[in-house]
Amino acid sequence: MKRKHFLSSLLTAGAAATLPALGSPTRQGMPGSKVVKPVPPRIPDYLSTGDTIGITCPAGFITLKEIEPAIQQIESWGFKTKIGNTVGKRDFSFGGTDVERAADLQQMIDDPSLKAILCARGGYGAVRIVDRLDLSGLSNYPKWVIGFSDITVLLCHIHRNLNMAGIHSKMCNSFPDDWSKAEPVQVESILSIRQALIGEAMQYPIVVNEKNKTGVAEGQLVGGNLKTLETLSGTRSDIDTVGKILFVEDTGEYLYSIDRMFWNLERTGKLGGLQGLIVGGFKIKPDDPGEEFGRTLYDIVLERVNAYKFPVVFDFPVGHQKNNYALKYGMSHRLSVTTDKVTLEDHI
Amino acid sequence: MMHIPPYLQPGDTIALVCPAGYMAPERAQTCIETLRCWGYTVQTGKTMNSHSENYFSGSDEERLADLQQALDDPAIKAILCGRGGYGLSRIIDRIDFSSFEKNPKWIIGFSDITILHAHIYTNYKTVSLHAPMAGAFNEGGADGVYIASLRAAMEGGKANYFCDEHPLNRTGRATGPLVGGNLSLLAHLCGTVSEVKTKGRILFLEDVGEYLYNVDRMLHQLKRNGRLEKLAGLVVGGFTEMKDTTRPFGQTVYEIIRDIVKEYDYPVCYGFPVSHGGDNYALKHGMEHTLHVGVEGVTLEE
Repeated sequence: MKRKHFLSSLLTAGAAATLPALGSPTRQGMPGSKVVKPVPPRIPDYLSTGDTIGITCPAGFITLKEIEPAIQQIESWGFKTKIGNTVGKRDFSFGGTDVERAADLQQMIDDPSLKAILCARGGYGAVRIVDRLDLSGLSNYPKWVIGFSDITVLLCHIHRNLNMAGIHSKMCNSFPDDWSKAEPVQVESILSIRQALIGEAMQYPIVVNEKNKTGVAEGQLVGGNLKTLETLSGTRSDIDTVGKILFVEDTGEYLYSIDRMFWNLERTGKLGGLQGLIVGGFKIKPDDPGEEFGRTLYDIVLERVNAYKFPVVFDFPVGHQKNNYALKYGMSHRLSVTTDKVTLEDHI
Repeated sequence: MMHIPPYLQPGDTIALVCPAGYMAPERAQTCIETLRCWGYTVQTGKTMNSHSENYFSGSDEERLADLQQALDDPAIKAILCGRGGYGLSRIIDRIDFSSFEKNPKWIIGFSDITILHAHIYTNYKTVSLHAPMAGAFNEGGADGVYIASLRAAMEGGKANYFCDEHPLNRTGRATGPLVGGNLSLLAHLCGTVSEVKTKGRILFLEDVGEYLYNVDRMLHQLKRNGRLEKLAGLVVGGFTEMKDTTRPFGQTVYEIIRDIVKEYDYPVCYGFPVSHGGDNYALKHGMEHTLHVGVEGVTLEE
């Protein structure tokens, strides 16, 4: 434990010196640009029995009743929970007004007794409060921020500005009401959050897809919801992908829109310098009649990355689906893609 | 200093091309006849008679070649796009603008064509025409005020548009270059070499078929990119066929925009006739305009 604290304070000093300039994201990653080895991320302490996890609603609203299964499950893992006052609050689709949601999250960021902040659900709203947040509390008391979908905004913002790791995973609204009746894959996805929180090595059941591009990649894992990533382009929360492994997932988008978003990645220099690409689940909105796009998701991705040599894996178990395993956002991983096996290892 | 392409003279040649989505050739007939009737020679590119069986009006190479040929041909004085849809993102970085730079010509269209307007404004400082496209000549459009505004604009007429007052308008007067277009595309261009700087400019926005929450998110993207804070003025056009989520967003699209820009003090008008809904005046993108938002109504003058 002592060693970990010592290490993290060293990393703090190192990270502070190399913070990206706010408001002027560098346009890196064009083919031929020099790949700089990224500074190791700051890793919050893993959780131990008795530690407390805060639950808040930075985006869509949810009731206390709806998060009860999550509270019970988390407490059965030996953690305490602290329920933010945005749980049960509602301002139309939001879990409270912008001011209320920002205040609840801020208070958790600043709370030294919390070891993690679990977002109750996604929806939409994180981008409306992200610039109101003061991250110094997180820097002083590192903690895991947990969520996905709209929470991609927070994961990107924290990683970009503090170089701090987070957890990309299911949220409270995905915990099954009746644990005994849940499908095994749902249970495994939820349990993977615990594994990530306590620092166990992650294991992913990855089915080999014949469209994969083989190879080995090492780098920090960044990414998230593709549409959300596009709407962060050019902002001070934008991801820098150079030398990293990028993962993407999305739901409810047309194929043409997915194609356009991959072009956004390309045109903002986010594909050229990648070490590897992980394509998770995409729930695709069917083409309108007469507007058939004529390309599959595989075609779209492969067309974009054809010129690059990095490995690409499809159907990774991450996304708006039952098999959505926790990923340690911002941490170094090794991705290995062969024709008969795909592995993604943290703890490298 | 902005480059203004030469205005059109009788007998000049207008090229019709489809750089994005597929368009059935018969949908362009009224447009072609009308342009001829106005005294122009019309040259239709291969993408206007495409045999494509998918979304696009030809492969990337075909769409690129067609547009490139129209850009490079000195006899062509204007390029009118058949329709938008999606597709310019895929070819914009492969277009060679060197002939265009020497001999600027009018590029006409909207929606996906926002990418061309933004790209040539930022990189080649050239004025273009955000205006109805070939399809808008159909269903009586050719005889309407919006197609008339397109003709007037390309023949050198100066814009002097009026629109009714709107309860959310913020009054005032602003002068600056007029830039903008489709919100989804402007958001999509953030962080790319095609992005438009908006400081000191009059920004106009329109969109179609988006979820309200997504309009909000895209406006936050522009705002977080610093694209809303130092505007001279804001012209909000039509946001047609808006969709809402099961849990309602709780605001109309104009209320969303009002709240996003409430901390600024430049004039804002809502409901300006620039849209996917048919009300769509030709706007000279990049040209200096004066916006006057008064209690009695709104004028936009070149």
